[in-house]
Formats: sequence, C-alpha cells, structure tokens
Amino acid sequence: MSAMRVTLDAEACVGHGRCYALAPDIFSANDQGHCVIKTDDGLIPVGSEDRAHQAVANCPEGALRLEE
Amino acid sequence: MDPAAAVYPEQRAANPYLPEVAADPIPFYRRLRAECPIANLEGFAEGTHIISRYEDVKFALRHPEIFSSDLVAVDIGQDRPLIPLQIDPPEHAKYRRLMDPFLGPSAIAYLDEETRKLANELIDAFAARGSCDFHAEFSVPYPCTVFLQLTGLPLEELGTFLRWKDNIIRPDVDPGDLDAAQQLRRETGQAMYAYFGGVIDDRLANPGEDLISRFVHGEVEGRTLSREEILDICYLFILGGLDTVTATLDCSIAYLAQHHDRRRQIVERPELVGAAVEELLRLHTPVMQVLRVVATEYEMNGVKMKPGDHVMLMLGAADTDTEEFGVDAEDFALDRTVNRHFAFGGGPHRCLGSHLARLELRVALEELHRRLPDYALTDGAELHYSPGIREIAHLPLVFEPVAV
Ligand code: HEM
Ligand code: SF4
Repeated sequence: MSAMRVTLDAEACVGHGRCYALAPDIFSANDQGHCVIKTDDGLIPVGSEDRAHQAVANCPEGALRLEE
Repeated sequence: MDPAAAVYPEQRAANPYLPEVAADPIPFYRRLRAECPIANLEGFAEGTHIISRYEDVKFALRHPEIFSSDLVAVDIGQDRPLIPLQIDPPEHAKYRRLMDPFLGPSAIAYLDEETRKLANELIDAFAARGSCDFHAEFSVPYPCTVFLQLTGLPLEELGTFLRWKDNIIRPDVDPGDLDAAQQLRRETGQAMYAYFGGVIDDRLANPGEDLISRFVHGEVEGRTLSREEILDICYLFILGGLDTVTATLDCSIAYLAQHHDRRRQIVERPELVGAAVEELLRLHTPVMQVLRVVATEYEMNGVKMKPGDHVMLMLGAADTDTEEFGVDAEDFALDRTVNRHFAFGGGPHRCLGSHLARLELRVALEELHRRLPDYALTDGAELHYSPGIREIAHLPLVFEPVAV
C-alpha cells in the first residue's frame, strides 16, 4: 500500500459512478449505484495512485478526498 | 439567425427555446455566461431566472432546500408531482432507495450482450444500403426496445408511447399557442393514467421480473406504493426513458458524421469509447436544462430571487464553461482528464437512468464504429434539432455499403 488514503463523504455521493468507472480497483458500487471504497481503510495500492487522483478529481459532487 | 442573438443583455433576458439555439447552442451559452449569467426568460418580465455558470448551476443542483423541484406549478399534463423528479429531499430519498437498485450498475450489467445484439440487428437492416436515417432507424428503436423490454411493455405499442412523450415534450401545435399545447398535454396525461392503470392491474395479478412489477410489489418504508404513486412513476418513465438516449445518439452521431478526425480517433482506438461517451454528453448536453422553483429568498450574482420564482438551470451552458473545463471547453477532447459534467444533472436528482444510458451509448458507439467506420451526413441535409431535449427529426447518413 502507498501512503495515500481516500475518504468518501457518503452524504454527498449521489451515484454518478465516475469513480468506479475510472478506478475499479479502488471503488465499487453498492446496489444503489453509490460509491463503496474497496480497499482496507481506503489505502491506495502502490501503482494505483494516478487512477486514484483521476477518480477523485472526476467526482461531480466533490464527495471523495485524498490524503497523502 | 446567430444563436448568440437570442441573449439580450440590455434587457437581462434570453430565449433558449428557439430552434436555432437548439441546433447550435454553444455561442448562445457562451454569451449567456459572459454577459448575462442570470437572465430572465424572454417575454417574462421577472421571476424566471436562467442560470448558466458552472459554479452557480452546481450550487443550485446541490441545494434543493433553496432550489426546489416541487414543480406542480409546471403543467406538463400531470395531476400530481412526478416521482421522483418533482419530490424534494428528504421524501425523495425513499423513492430512490426503492428504484435505484433496479437500474444500478450491477442490475443492468447483463444488458451488455442483449443491447449489442440489438444494435447489430438494427445496423444489419441498413448496412448494405449505404444510407440510412439514423434517427428513425437507430436512435429511436435502439433505446426504446431496451426500455420496453425492461418495463415489460408491448413493443407493438411503441408508436403510441412515442406519440405520448412527444405530445408532452414537444407538442405539435402552432408555436406560441400555449393553450393548445396545454390542452394536448392534459389529454395525453389522462390517456397515460388510464393506460398505466390497466398495466398496474395486470402486474398485480401477474407479477413478473419487469420494472413495473417491481414498482407494484416494491416497498418504501415498510409499505407498498399506492396506485397513484406508481402512476406518477410510470408517467415520468415514459418521458425520461423514451427520449433522452435518442437525443444523445442523434447529437453524437450528427457531430461525428461532420468531424471525421474525431470519429477516426474512436474507430482507431475503441478503448476510448468510454471517454468519448462522456465528452459527447458534455459537449452536446442533450437535456439542455432542468427546472427548479425558488423556495426561500436567495441572491445570486446580485440578482434577488423570490419564493415561487421559476429557475432554469442551463446544464449545457455549465458543461461548456471555461472556468470549469479550461480553454478547450468548447472542443471535443478525448484526453480531457477531468470531466465533471452535469449532462445527467447532479445532486439528489442525478438521473436514475444514467447507468443504463451510459451502457447503451457505449455499446452503440462500439458497434457502429466497428461495423461502419466511415459515414458522413448526406449532402445538403438540413438538421432540425428540437429545443429543450435536442432530438434531430431526420439524420440522413451515407457510408460505404457493407454486405451483411
Ligand atoms: C443520455 C440519456 C439521459 C440523459 C441525458 C438524462 C438526463 C437527465 C437529467 C438531466 C435528469 C435530472 C433532472 C432534474 O434534475 O430535474 C434526469 C433525471 C431522471 N432520469 Fe434521466 N437522462 C437520460 C436517460 C434516462 C433513462 C434511460 C431513464 C429511464 C430508464 C431516465 C430516467 C430518469 C429519471 C426517473 C429521473 C428523475 C430522477 C430524480 O428526480 O430523482 N433517464 N435525467
Ligand atoms: S463519482 Fe462521486 S458521486 Fe459518483 S459514485 Fe463516485 S463518489 Fe459518488
């Protein structure tokens, strides 16, 4: 795991699905199509950092945050 | 007419409903954002606010307590608010809790194969001819067939359903004859309630796996939906499910038929189709606007909005705003790294059908460009876009014939 973590504001997520389309190794969808973070504690696997950045940047609701 | 001429900064007014604007909205949007970011609808002195900048549209989408969807005041022939479109949070969430899973990404994933087959059958019908009316022969039958299968409604009745949604979305009456338009909407609305009343009876007696059966037998907060609630869902579904993917395909293929370099990118690199779908949705934003009503006094860009005022969130203008998308906001850029468009709306009312629509669009673009890599608009073709939801009445294409 890299030293990067992602967090989700579940209140803000409305299920656009951009995150799990762009980074399916980090995010998936629940039955409502809302975001679920797949990795333990939101830790980003080494090598997935760019995808994580891209997914977070593309959330139209600003529901995702990265901490380095 | 220059579409930008439909913005009147001196009167702080604009008219997005002109066909010239629907045909080429980008210059209209540009001038609106720059010179008149909060405009009144032309012909209405006050109390109708057109909001066009990305940040303002985003704020309004995310603040339903100020910009309410409680739009019974907007008469589209309905007797009650449409569910979930015209219901505000927190009520709204209980309906989405029930409905979202039916159209969520995992629930519809199985459709990939069926839609691919359908797309190929439709292409088979015109591939050897070397020409087609893409609107009539693909954009309409493709999403509508999928939708009718999902809802378990009879394909033979498609003509009736299409007439109903057109009567409501773009009533064919003399332009400006608002009374005739309302009359047609009311009559159509009553016909829809009567028809779906029968469908509900049928699904009560013979439940199936289709969406309407699920609404009929589904529960919110531990109770089944009332007959009226189910009717209010069905009404919206006919409008939302039968028009929007058609319009998106029309706008997208018309654009790619006239921009050969862009189309070639998709043909040569099919893995870019996902990005192309997002970029086509953004650039063409086929649902140009969504409506709200002001719930509590609010001031935006120096304009005071009063409770009861009508608001039009110009999604297309937000989606081409350089402040959000950069200097190439008006271009089709497959290498765009950040694309937070609002073609499906945003906030709690984010389109319920967006996962289905994205799947349908991706499969259609993949199959079309695999089968017919070179197509162009027929010489001399004039495209007529309809305002509001940008369908194109006829989309004549020519291409090298291919044996089927
Ligand atoms: C590319 C195709 C589509 C586009 C561009 C589109 C666009 C939109 C937009 C902009 C909204 C937000 C309305 C608002 O905020 O007031 C919306 C809501 C909705 N759409 Fe779609 N739509 C598409 C496809 C579909 C399909 C295929 C269905 C049904 C199967 C559907 C069903 C709905 C429903 C039920 C809502 C209301 C959601 C709510 O209010 O919570 N849409 N759509
Ligand atoms: S992109 Fe944002 S709003 Fe959409 S599912 Fe992911 S977190 Fe939720």
